[in-house]
Amino acid sequence: MVVLRGEILVRVLLDNISKFFGKVKAVSDLNLEIKDGEFVAFLGPSGCGKTTTLLMIAGIYKPSKGRILFDDEDVTDLPPKDRNVGMVFQSYALYPHMTVYDNIAFPLKLKKVPKQEIDRKVKEVAKLLQIDELLDRKPAQLSGGQRQRVALGRALVKEPDVLLLDEPLSNLDAKLRILMRAEIKRLQRELRITTIYVTHDQVEAMSMADRIAVMNKGRLQQYADPQTLYNKPANLFVAGFIGSPPMNLIEGSITERNGSYYFETHSFKYALPRDIGSLVASKTSEVILGVRPEDIRVIIDGRGSSDSAIIGTVYVVEPLGRDLLINVKINGVLIKILAPTDIRLESGQKIMFTINRAKLHIFDKKTGEAII
Amino acid sequence: MMRVGIRKRKTRALLRRIAVIAVVLLIAVIPAIPIWLMYGWIISQSFSGRVILGILPSKLTIENWRFLWSPITMGEKEYPNIWPITLNTLFLALGVAGLVVLVSSLSGYALSRMDFKGRTGMMQFIIALHAFPSVILLIALFVILNKLGLYGKGFMTLVGIILIKAGLEIPMATWIIKGFFDSIPWDLEWAALVDGCSRWRAWRSIILPLVLPGIGAVSIFSFLSGWSEFLLVFTYVAQEEYYTLPVMIYHMIGEFIHIDWGMLAALGLFYAIPTIIFFSVSQKVLLKIYVGGVKG
Amino acid sequence: MPRGLSKKMLPWLFLAPMLLMITLAWIAPLVLTVYLGFTDLKINNFLAFIQDFFTDKVKLTLDNFRKIFYAEDPYVSETFKVTVFYVVSVLSVNAVYALILSIAIAYFVKNEILSMILRVTWLLPRITPGIIYALMWIWFIDPRYGLLNDMLRLMGAPEDWLPDSWLLRKPYSQVLMVMINGYVGASFGMIVYTAAIKSIPPDLINAALVDGASEFQVARRIIIPLLKWPILFVTAWQTLSLLSSYEYILMVWGAGSGQGYGIARSAGVMVWSLYSYAKAFAEYLYGYASALSLILVVIGLVLIILYFRIFGFKRLMEPSKVEV
Ligand SMILES: Nc1ncnc2c1ncn2[C@@H]1O[C@H](COP(=O)(O)OP(=O)(O)OP(=O)(O)O)[C@@H](O)[C@H]1O
Ligand SMILES: [Mg+2]
Repeated sequence: MVVLRGEILVRVLLDNISKFFGKVKAVSDLNLEIKDGEFVAFLGPSGCGKTTTLLMIAGIYKPSKGRILFDDEDVTDLPPKDRNVGMVFQSYALYPHMTVYDNIAFPLKLKKVPKQEIDRKVKEVAKLLQIDELLDRKPAQLSGGQRQRVALGRALVKEPDVLLLDEPLSNLDAKLRILMRAEIKRLQRELRITTIYVTHDQVEAMSMADRIAVMNKGRLQQYADPQTLYNKPANLFVAGFIGSPPMNLIEGSITERNGSYYFETHSFKYALPRDIGSLVASKTSEVILGVRPEDIRVIIDGRGSSDSAIIGTVYVVEPLGRDLLINVKINGVLIKILAPTDIRLESGQKIMFTINRAKLHIFDKKTGEAII
Repeated sequence: MMRVGIRKRKTRALLRRIAVIAVVLLIAVIPAIPIWLMYGWIISQSFSGRVILGILPSKLTIENWRFLWSPITMGEKEYPNIWPITLNTLFLALGVAGLVVLVSSLSGYALSRMDFKGRTGMMQFIIALHAFPSVILLIALFVILNKLGLYGKGFMTLVGIILIKAGLEIPMATWIIKGFFDSIPWDLEWAALVDGCSRWRAWRSIILPLVLPGIGAVSIFSFLSGWSEFLLVFTYVAQEEYYTLPVMIYHMIGEFIHIDWGMLAALGLFYAIPTIIFFSVSQKVLLKIYVGGVKG
Repeated sequence: MPRGLSKKMLPWLFLAPMLLMITLAWIAPLVLTVYLGFTDLKINNFLAFIQDFFTDKVKLTLDNFRKIFYAEDPYVSETFKVTVFYVVSVLSVNAVYALILSIAIAYFVKNEILSMILRVTWLLPRITPGIIYALMWIWFIDPRYGLLNDMLRLMGAPEDWLPDSWLLRKPYSQVLMVMINGYVGASFGMIVYTAAIKSIPPDLINAALVDGASEFQVARRIIIPLLKWPILFVTAWQTLSLLSSYEYILMVWGAGSGQGYGIARSAGVMVWSLYSYAKAFAEYLYGYASALSLILVVIGLVLIILYFRIFGFKRLMEPSKVEV
């Protein structure tokens, strides 16, 4: 395996940056540290400011507020040319008037690299990305996947300190996507380039990134590794956004009776462990209870039944292949449960289920922040 | 890879920024100074007895605008009153605009909406005409005007000029209106036809309101081009009382010795009023037309 | 009327007024120019010709072309040289200078308001009525009242470089001719180019910047190559219209005396089309003037056919479209 770069690893620090377009606040008060050699994903719905953040790191946009540091150097005022970042754009942005070869060679030509060396490097990258057959073509003659590789090659060939990828796989079909996902991950591991990967596909982010920054409406929601994000979502947005099928979120209030704590909705009542109950009750009474579909267990034939079991009516059963997704109604509240496929259920049937208490999430209804 | 110090990179970036600014100054700003000076001059000159340093007004006066209420003399020569001349110009401009709009909305509609043999050929023909420089035809048009008995007939000569000018503008106007018709979704007309409208009524009650902005733009455009028309009037109109404003201004500039800059500036501004108004009101659409419809 | 027939007729009914007007204003004079070019029509047989197109007082002849091509009219070759100079220099202003200007205005200047001010400024020469534009120039170059000489002095031009008359002194008059037409042409180029630059996807430019291009390199390596067709279009279109344009020259130099002849000849700004105009309307040599025009007509038709070949129909209609 060729080593394309020297051993310079760059740490990126976003120090309280904001970007406003007139009245639109595309990004607000973002603080983020990306360690050298780390693979970080920006995850969030459309329009949440992911591309804007990338363009600020690249130097295309100047932050309205805040600083950007590469290692310990303040690069906020540096134009892109002086930052040595590589970027794959959402639209690929291949130069239509240049061949694939010239597209990839472009950053090197601008650096005034000697001709033979350009040739060597372009061919090296082309081989690495398996596009060495396409070097003479124009971008218009390429398929989506090929274009994406060319764009990646163009970003890699200059041996960037930081690699920025803006939804590079969004235009590909599902199969190619999985393939390229693995390939990008492998490349990043081998080249050890500090990488930021923008996506709105959570599976992509979870499977590739060391850490994930979840954004919404220009604000950072949570910045953590995939496991933490999944197991300990910091707020309602993250809880609802991460995980598929999504977490069940049920509005209700905390009540106390005779020293026992209950989560109570207009349709059912659920006993909480004492420690959780008292913790939550000390903060607020209006809460939202969150539980992932896989953390609910259906009780069949009364086996493993307990006093905290809830009774509901089966509404719809959706087979997902490996699992069943059971939609259960409890007096108007809909709950989704993931169950093994060997259960037979009919619509309208009454069932009992229990919640794994260790995996319970409770959020403050007013602030949306997680309490536990 | 070699790393260049941050200081040095910042300096280089600054130098490049300065180079860019220098180019902008050299290419776009300094050569624009004459334009600003000229417009500055014409405005301040028209209201002042004397201008200092070319564009600073002094001795404010409306004396330069006296042509509005009294006969114009320059040196020995007396010029016709301004108002009939203005009316001539207006008549020419309105005539051209009316004729152009009438004819080109019909043809624009046909080219956009009707399918007939030779449609593509017709469009190519129109584009070709549009590219062809019409001023070459001035001599032959002079002969035609004579043949039609419209030369030297005062008012009728102006009518002849309207016909010619409109004819020269029509290919472009047709093209623009066709563009506006093209941008209307077909379904609308279909819906109207299903509702039992005749094609004519569909056109009048549904399509027309949608193309009205386009027609408005074309009328303004052809009005302005009639208003600015110089060569045809200059060449074909012999009697002073049928001059239009640009031709009169031209002859007044010709009085080199007695040139009265103040009055010429005022007259020039007076003449430019419609252009200024229409342009500030509808510059977006007109610009679009100037891109597509270009006579150099 | 049978339905089928009326359906076929209807489009032509709509087109008829246009075709009538086009016949009057384009076709008839075109044909007539061809015919007149081969006649000896002039002032003393003009009336007879108007009364009867086939009068024997007007003779068919090849004399006109002999005069032009065999240098029997000694002035033709000078006119030719002036025309070539005029077309080439104004064209380079239009196509090349306007290109740099547009990149400066639409790309280098990031401030929207400033960019807007510059764009409107550069548009003014084109939208100002011709006679006012001419008037302003006549003032501007006036050695006593105008500012051009003062401006040049300010920029450090030595006193004896400055002419006592920009209108009359060659080569100043010829430089002036290029400037007057150049500003108008630059407006035209700018309109087409800025529209084209605005239609380049911003990502392409951003990508180049990230790849390490400076603003100049973006202009040279990305913007200009993408503007290939608009540049070709402006060049082609302007060649044609410059070949035949003389209105501003007539307004500025013709103002000296009489019908359009003025001082254009002594100032060295007599271009081909103006010469033809002067022959017709100052010397009343209609036949000869038509022959001079006919040469332009032929060049024009050839060029138009050529353009259709090069550009194709589509590109001629959307000059500002960038192909990405
Ligand atoms: N140049 C701009 N001018 C004005 N508003 C902008 C500009 N660029 C982005 N915005 C706005 O800023 C917000 C964030 O945009 P951004 O492109 O960063 O979103 P994104 O997270 O990349 O979305 P997507 O997933 O759709 O690409 C949006 O509301 C967008 O409309
Ligand atoms: Mg985006």
